[in-house]
Amino acid sequence: MTEIKENYDLTPRVAPNLDRHLVFPILEFLQERQLYPDEQILKFKIELLNKTNMVDYAMDIHKSLYHTEDAPQDMVERRAEVVARLKSLEEAAAPLVTFLLNPSAVQELRADKQYNLQMLKERYQIGPDQIEALYQYAKFQFECGNYSGAADYLYQYRTLCSNLERSLSALWGKLASEILMQNWDIAFEELNRVKDIIDSKSFASPLNQVQNRIWLMHWGLYIFFNHDNGRTQIIDLFNQDKYLNAIQTSAPHLLRYLATAFIVNKRKRPQLKEFIKVIQQEHYSYKDPIVEFLACVFVHYDFDGAQKKMKECEEVIVNDPFLGKRVENGNFSTVPLRDEFLENARLFIFETYCRIHQRIDMGVLAEKLNLNYEEAERWIVNLIRTSKLDAKIDSESGTVIMEPTQPNVHEQLINHTKALSGRTYKLVTQLLEHSQGQAAR
Amino acid sequence: MATIASMLASTRNPFSCFREPLYPGSRSVVSPRYLEPFGKRIRTIPRFIRACQPLDKVGGDGGVSASAKRYHFGNELLSFASDNFLPLALVTGVSLGFANPTLGCLADKYSLSKFSTCGIFIISGLTLRTEAIGDAVKGWPLGVFGLASILLLTPSFSRLVMLFQLQHQELVTGLGIFCCMPTTLSSGVALTHLAGGNSALALAVTVASNLLGILTIPFWVSRYIAGGVGVSFPTDQLFKSLIVTLLVPLIIGKVIRETFKGFANFVDNNRKLFSRMNAICLSLVPWIQVSRSRSLLLSVEPKVFLAAIGIGILLHLSLLAFNALSIRILSGLSGDYNSKNSKGNGTAVLLVASQKTLPVMVAVVEQLRGAFGEPGLLVLPCVAAHLNQIMIDSILVNVWLRKSNASSADGGSDSEDESDIEEEIQEVQNTDINNRYLQDGSDDDDDTDTKRVIKPTKDKRFEEMTHTVEQMKNAMKINDWVSLQENFDKVNKQLEKVMRITEAVKPPTLYIKTLVMLEDFLNEALANKEAKKKMSPSNSKALNAMRQKLKKNNKTYEDAINKYRETPEVEEEKEPEDEDDDDEEDEDEFEDDDDSKEAVTDDDVDEPADNRWETMLNKKDKQMEKLLSKDPKEITWEWVNQKFKEIMAARGRKGTARFDLVDQLTHLTKIAKTPAQKLEILFSVISAQFDVNPGLTGHMPIKVWKKCVLNMLTILDILVKYNNIVVDDTIEPDENETSKPADYDGTIRVWGNLVAFIERIDTEFFKSLQSIDPHTREYVERLRDEPMFLALAQNIQDYFERMGDYKAAAKVALRRVESIYYKPQEVYEAMRKLAELDEEDEEAEDAEEESGPISSFIVVPEVVPRKPTFPESGRAMMDLLVSLIYRNGDERTKARAMLCDIYHHALMDNFGTARDLLLMSHLQDNIQHMDISTQILFNRTMAQIGLCAFRVGMITESHSCLSELYSGQRVRELLAQGVSQSRYHEKTPEQERLERRRQMPYHMHINLELLEAVHLIGAMLLEVPNMAANSLEARRRVISKNFRRLLEISERQAFNAPPENVRDHVMAATRALTKGDFQTAFEVLNSLDVWRMLKNRDSILEMVKARIKEEALRTYLFTYSSSYESLSLEQLAKMFDVTEAQVHSIVSKMMINEELHASWDQPTRCIVFHEVQHSRLQSLAFQLTEKLSVLAESNERAMEARTGGGGLDLSSRRRDNNQDYAGAAGKWQDNNMNYGQGRQGNNRSGYGGRPGQPRDWSGQNRGGGYAARAGSGNRGGGMQMDGSTRMVSLNRGVRA
Repeated sequence: MTEIKENYDLTPRVAPNLDRHLVFPILEFLQERQLYPDEQILKFKIELLNKTNMVDYAMDIHKSLYHTEDAPQDMVERRAEVVARLKSLEEAAAPLVTFLLNPSAVQELRADKQYNLQMLKERYQIGPDQIEALYQYAKFQFECGNYSGAADYLYQYRTLCSNLERSLSALWGKLASEILMQNWDIAFEELNRVKDIIDSKSFASPLNQVQNRIWLMHWGLYIFFNHDNGRTQIIDLFNQDKYLNAIQTSAPHLLRYLATAFIVNKRKRPQLKEFIKVIQQEHYSYKDPIVEFLACVFVHYDFDGAQKKMKECEEVIVNDPFLGKRVENGNFSTVPLRDEFLENARLFIFETYCRIHQRIDMGVLAEKLNLNYEEAERWIVNLIRTSKLDAKIDSESGTVIMEPTQPNVHEQLINHTKALSGRTYKLVTQLLEHSQGQAAR
Repeated sequence: MATIASMLASTRNPFSCFREPLYPGSRSVVSPRYLEPFGKRIRTIPRFIRACQPLDKVGGDGGVSASAKRYHFGNELLSFASDNFLPLALVTGVSLGFANPTLGCLADKYSLSKFSTCGIFIISGLTLRTEAIGDAVKGWPLGVFGLASILLLTPSFSRLVMLFQLQHQELVTGLGIFCCMPTTLSSGVALTHLAGGNSALALAVTVASNLLGILTIPFWVSRYIAGGVGVSFPTDQLFKSLIVTLLVPLIIGKVIRETFKGFANFVDNNRKLFSRMNAICLSLVPWIQVSRSRSLLLSVEPKVFLAAIGIGILLHLSLLAFNALSIRILSGLSGDYNSKNSKGNGTAVLLVASQKTLPVMVAVVEQLRGAFGEPGLLVLPCVAAHLNQIMIDSILVNVWLRKSNASSADGGSDSEDESDIEEEIQEVQNTDINNRYLQDGSDDDDDTDTKRVIKPTKDKRFEEMTHTVEQMKNAMKINDWVSLQENFDKVNKQLEKVMRITEAVKPPTLYIKTLVMLEDFLNEALANKEAKKKMSPSNSKALNAMRQKLKKNNKTYEDAINKYRETPEVEEEKEPEDEDDDDEEDEDEFEDDDDSKEAVTDDDVDEPADNRWETMLNKKDKQMEKLLSKDPKEITWEWVNQKFKEIMAARGRKGTARFDLVDQLTHLTKIAKTPAQKLEILFSVISAQFDVNPGLTGHMPIKVWKKCVLNMLTILDILVKYNNIVVDDTIEPDENETSKPADYDGTIRVWGNLVAFIERIDTEFFKSLQSIDPHTREYVERLRDEPMFLALAQNIQDYFERMGDYKAAAKVALRRVESIYYKPQEVYEAMRKLAELDEEDEEAEDAEEESGPISSFIVVPEVVPRKPTFPESGRAMMDLLVSLIYRNGDERTKARAMLCDIYHHALMDNFGTARDLLLMSHLQDNIQHMDISTQILFNRTMAQIGLCAFRVGMITESHSCLSELYSGQRVRELLAQGVSQSRYHEKTPEQERLERRRQMPYHMHINLELLEAVHLIGAMLLEVPNMAANSLEARRRVISKNFRRLLEISERQAFNAPPENVRDHVMAATRALTKGDFQTAFEVLNSLDVWRMLKNRDSILEMVKARIKEEALRTYLFTYSSSYESLSLEQLAKMFDVTEAQVHSIVSKMMINEELHASWDQPTRCIVFHEVQHSRLQSLAFQLTEKLSVLAESNERAMEARTGGGGLDLSSRRRDNNQDYAGAAGKWQDNNMNYGQGRQGNNRSGYGGRPGQPRDWSGQNRGGGYAARAGSGNRGGGMQMDGSTRMVSLNRGVRA
C-alpha cells in the first residue's frame, strides 16, 4: 500500500510550482499522514526555511530534529541580519505606512492613481522611493511569515504602484498571503484578478505565459478544494483550452484534480466528454488511479477494472494534501471529498452500466456497487422514484429491467420540424425590420 | 497552442503546399499530344526486338548454333511460321479457296482483289524511301533491261509453249497468252520487298512495263498466238484500272510517308509488320482466284491440268533462268560501277521480269470473247501458273533470306528489316553475306561470277576520314582557314559514321590526333598577331569561328586529348613546343619577376586550355624541383607570399589545371613561413579542392574530399595552437597580416569561413552518396567516411564554442544532427564502433603520408583529436546537439533541428514526445514557407511519425499522418526517394536535375513498401468497419479515399490472382476482413515480407492481429446484426478468439456510441438487438426534414450575409457550439420547446440537429471515441454528442 501512496504522491511534482511558503501546508499534511519518515520532512522543512526569513521557526524545527537546545551559528547570524534588515526597511517605508495608518488621510485618496501620486508627493513628500520601499517591506513581512501585514501593505501598494510588472508580482504576493491566511473568498477574487492579467497581458514568450498559468493553477488548488464553489470553479478554469493545453504540455499531474472535480461535480457532466478525450491523449504521459478510473468507465467500459480503480482512488484521495482535507466531526474525522467521490463514482458506473444493458441481475449489481442486496434494491428504487432511471424491478427473477428508450418516429419528426416555423418567423421579422430600417434611412 | 486533437488533422497543409511550389507552372509545360509519338516509340521498341527474335532462331534451325536445339518445339514452330510467312500464307489462301469457295467468291464480288492490290501498292508507297528512288534511278541499265525483257524478250517464250500439245489445247494457248503479258502488279514488288531487293526499281519496272504493255500486248498476241490475227484490246479499261490500282495507291502511300514524318518513322521501325501485311494482301489474290475457278478446275482432268501446271512451272523457271543469266551478264559488263546497289537491283529485276500478270491476262481473254476457245480453260492454267510463280518466287526469296541469315547468325547480324533501316551498318556487317547470297543465287541460274570488290565500309570510312585529314593538313600549310573549317565539319560528320560503324565509345585516334594538331595550329595562329592582321577578312572570320568550334568540340574529348598528349606516340610533334617552354623556364629561374609579367601577358592572350596545361605541367615540375632545391634559408615570407599570389592569380583562369593548382598550393603550405600564412594558404588549398569538380551535378572525387577533410583538420590544429589567429570573412585583411610571426602578441586576422567550408564538405559527401550506386561496395566504403566528417564537425563545433561563436557552432551542430537523426540505435552503435576501429587504420595512413620527402617549416602537432567521440546512445547525442541549436540557432537551423529531433524521437518509438514536439513547434503551420529540402525533411518526419504510431499501435494517428502522403500518387517525390513520372506533364530537364539533386541517399530512405503497408493496413482497419457500418450510404463518410479507390479497382477485377505486392496483400486481407474472417486476413498480412524491417516484429504483428480481430468483430456486428435477435457473448468471444472482457468492452463501446442498436442482457450474457427499421415513408420523412432544416439554415445565412452583422459573430458562435456541443445537444429538446427565446437557441438547435439526426436512424454513425481525432470538424462534434445525450437524460432530475 505504501508503494501506491508514494507512487501517487504528487508533492515532488507540485512543489516546484509553489511558493516556498505554500509548500508548508503540504508538508504539514504529509507529516500528519506519516507517508514519509518525520526526519526527512523536518530536514526538508529546514531547507525550505533557509531561504525565507522565518528563522525562528527554522530554529525550532532544528531543535526538534536534532533534539538539541542550541541553534546552529549560521542561523543565529542570519536572525540578526534579518532583524537588521527589517529595521531598515521599516524606516524606509515609515512615511507611507504612517500615512496609510491615518484613516482620514487615506480618505483623501481617490480612484485616480495619477492624482494620488501627485497628491502624496505634494502634501506628504512621499515619492516613488517610498512606494518602492513599501513593496520591499511588504515582501519582507511575507518572508517573515506575517501574511496579514503583507497582504495589507500589498493591497495599498497596488493602489499606488504604476509599474505593471511590480503590480503583478504584488498581486501574486497578495494571493499567496490570502491563501496562507485561508481567506478563501478573498483569495478567489485575487486569483481571478491574476488570471485576467495573465490572459490579457502580452508576455515576452508564450512559454512564459504557460509558466504563469501553471503557477496559477497550482496555487489555485488550495482555493478550489476549500472554497465552497471551488469544484465548479476548478473545472471552469482548468477546462479552458489555454489552461488545458498548459496542463497537457507541462503539468499533466493536474489532471488528477480536474478528474476528481469532474467526478464529484454533477453539473459539469457535459464537458466530461471533451475531458475524456484529453485523458485518452495523455494517458501515455501520466497515470493516475482517478484518471484511469474515468478511462475505465468511459473508454474501455471495463467495469471490473473501474471497481478496482475505485479502491485505489480512495487511497489516493485520502493521501492527497488537497483532496484529503479532513473535517473533524465529533471525535472522528472524515474526508468529505472521499465519500462524495465514491458515491459519484458508483453512480457513474451504474449509469453507464444501465445504458448498455437491458436486464441486470440484482445480485451482480449489488456486488458491482459494493452494496448488499437489500441496499442495492433500495438504492435502485430510489433512483427510479426520483426518475433518474427509467427501469423496473422484476423481483420474481431478481432483475432490473430497463425501459427501452427508442424514440418514437413521430416525435422525432415533430422535433425536427418544430423549430422550423419559429426560425422562419424570426427570419421574416428580421427581414422586415431590416427593410424598414433601410426605408427609414 | 493547438490542441492535440487538432494536430493530426491539421497536418495536411504542408503536404499539399509542398506540391504546389515544387513545380511552378509545370502543368502547362508540354501538351500530351507532343508526348504521343514519343510514347509510341517507346512502346514499339519491344515489338521491334520481338520481330528480330525469330530470325536468330532460324539461324539455330539451320544447324549453325547447337544451342538453338534448346529451343522449345513450339518456339521452333512459331519461328518457322514467322519465317516462312509468305509461302504459308499462299498455301493457306489456296487451300482455303479449295475448301470453301463461297467466301472467296464473295470477296471477288466486292473486288477484294483490287483492294488487295491497292493495299500492296500503298504499302509499297509507304515503305518507299526517297533514297531508294535515287537508287532505282542509278540502277537504270538493269531497269531498262528488265523492261526489255518483259516486253520484248519473254513474249517469245510463248512460241516454245505453243509447241506443247495437250488434250485441251486451250490450256496451252492460255499459257501462251500469259507469256505475252507484262509483269505482275502485286507479287513482284511485294516479293522484291521481302527479299530486301530494290523495291523502288521493281516498282518502276512494274509500272512502266504495265503501261507500255498495253501497247505491246496486242502486237505480241496477234503475232505469236493468233498468227497475225488482229486482236482488239481494251486499252482504256486496262489503262484506267492500272492507274487506279497501281499508280494512285502508290502515290498516296508515298505522299502519306512524306507528309507525316512520324508515320514514316513508324513504318521504318516496323518493316516486318508491313511485310507481313504485304504477304497477306498477296495471298488474297490466289485465294480469290482459286475460289472463283474452283468448279472449272474440278471439271478438267487432273492429269491434263497437272501437265499444264508443269508447263507453267517450266516456263517460269526458264524465265527465271533466262533473266538471271542476262542480269549477270549485264552487271558483269557494266563492272562494279555501282556495286552497292547492284544486288538489290538484280533481285528486283530478276523477280519482276520473270513474273507475268494475271489480271491483265484475264482482261485480255475476256476481250477475246472466245476467239481461242473456252475462256475458263484459257485462264485456268494461267491461274495455276500465276500461283506457281508466286510460290516459286516466294520460296526462292525465303531461301535467300535464310541463307543470308544463316551466314550472318554468327556475325551477330540484325534482321533483314533492320538492314533496310540502317543500310550502312548492314552493309558493313553483311558485305560478305550478301556476296554469298549473290553467289547462291547464281548457282541456280548461271555460273558467271560478278567480280566486285566490296570493301568493308569501316575501312572505307576511315579512308574518307584520312583523306579529309590530309586535306586539312594541306589547308593548314597554306593557312586557309575557310577550307579548314569546312573540312573540320566534314571530319566531325565522318566521325559520327565511323563511331556508329565501329560501335566504339571512344573516338578513333586519328580524330584525336587531328584535334590536337588543329589546336596547336590554332594557338600558333592566334599567337602570331601580325599574321593574323594580314589575313583576309573571310579567313580571319573563319579563324575565329574555328576557335569557338574547336573549344566547344574539344571539351567533349578532353580526356582523350589529354591521354593522347601524354602518350609518346606524338612526341615528335610536341618537341618544338617543349623547347619553347624550357626556354621560358630558364628565364624564369633567373628573374622571378618575369613570371608575374608572363602571367599578365597570359591574360591578354586568350590561350586555350591544353597548351597552357602543357606548360603548367612542366613548369610545375620545374618549380617543385626549384622549391626543393632551394636553400631553406633563402625562402622568405615575401617570397612565399609572392608565389602564393602568382598561383592564386592563375586560379579560375581558363588554362589552369585544377589538380595542379591544388598540388602547388599544398606544396606551398609546406614552405609557409608563419602559421598565419600557412593558414591562409590552406584556406586556398581547400577552396581549390572544392573547385576541382566544376558544375553542380557531379561530386567531388573521394580522394580529394578526404584530403580536404585532413586539410581542415590541419587548419584547426593551427587555430587551436595559435589562438591569437582569428578567422573571419567579413573584414578585408591587411596585406601583410600573415607576416606576423607565431609569437606575435595581438590577434592576427585571416580571411576564411569555416562554417561555409564544413557545410560544403558535408554537401559534397551527401552528393557523392547520391551519385554512387547504393548496391556497390563503393557506397559502403563511402559511408565509412562519415565518422571522419563527424570528427571534423565536432572539432569545429568545439572550436566555435570555445571562441564563443555560438551561431556558427549551431550551424555546424545542425550538420552533425543531420547525419545522425535517421540512424536507429543499432546503426548508431555500429558507427560508433567503426569510428573507434578506424582510428588505428587512419594512424597508419597518416604515418605514411607524414614520411613524405619534405617536412614543412611550420610543424603543427595534431592537437585536435582525429576521432569523433560519441555518447553512449544516439538520443543523448541528439539531445546535446539539439539543445545547443535551440539556444543559438537561427530560424531555419532551429526548424531543421526540430524536425530531425522529432524524426529521431519517432524512430525511437517515442510517439508522444514526437507528437508533442511537432505540435509545440508549430512547424506544420509555416512549413510551406520553408525551402524545399526542409519540406522534404518535414515529409520524412511525418512518414516516420506515422510508422512510429503504427508501431506503438495507434492506428488512427498513424493513418492520419500517412494519408496525406498517399493522397496523391507521389510518395516517392514527396520523400525525395525517387522521381515519379507523371503522364500528364513532362518535366523540363532543368526540373529533373533539380529534383535529382534533392534526392535522399539510399541509406537514408524510409522503406516505401513498409510505409505503404502501414498506411494501407491502417486504412483497412479504419475503413472496413466504417464501410460495414455505412453500407447504405457508402459515400457518406469516407476515411481514406485512396483505400476506397484501390478497393474499387480490386473489386472490379474478374479474377483475383494470389497477392503479389503490398497492395494486393492488403486487398486480399480486406476481402477477408469484410467477411469477418480475421484468420485469413491476418495470415495474408503476415505473409508480407516487409515485416522483417521492423525491429520488434513479433509484438507488432501481435498488435496487428489484435486490431484485426477487433475490427473483424465490429465489422461482423455491423454487417450481420440485423440477422440476429440475440447473440451470446461467449459465442462471439469464441468466434473471434478474443477474451470475453474484450468483446464486452468493444460491444459496449459500440452501444454507447450508438453504432449498434442493442443492449446487454446481463443474466444470460447475451446481446439483444433492437432493430429499428424505418418504413420507407418514415425515412423519406426524415430526409425531408433534414432538407428543410438545411434550407432554413441557408436562408438564415443568406439573411445574415445581407444584413451584415452576422458573419463573424455567427462563425464564432458556431465554434462555440462545437466546444460545448454535448451541452447543446442535451438542451436540445428544451430549446425546441421554447424556440421563441432567441436566435441563438434556434440556431443552435438547427445546427445541432443536423449531425444529431443520424443517431435516430439505423446506427450509421461512427462514434465518438474513434471519430474524435479523425473528424475534428462539426461532424466529429456531433458524433461525440450522440454518446452523451442519454447520459444527460439520466441526469435530468439533477439539473432540474
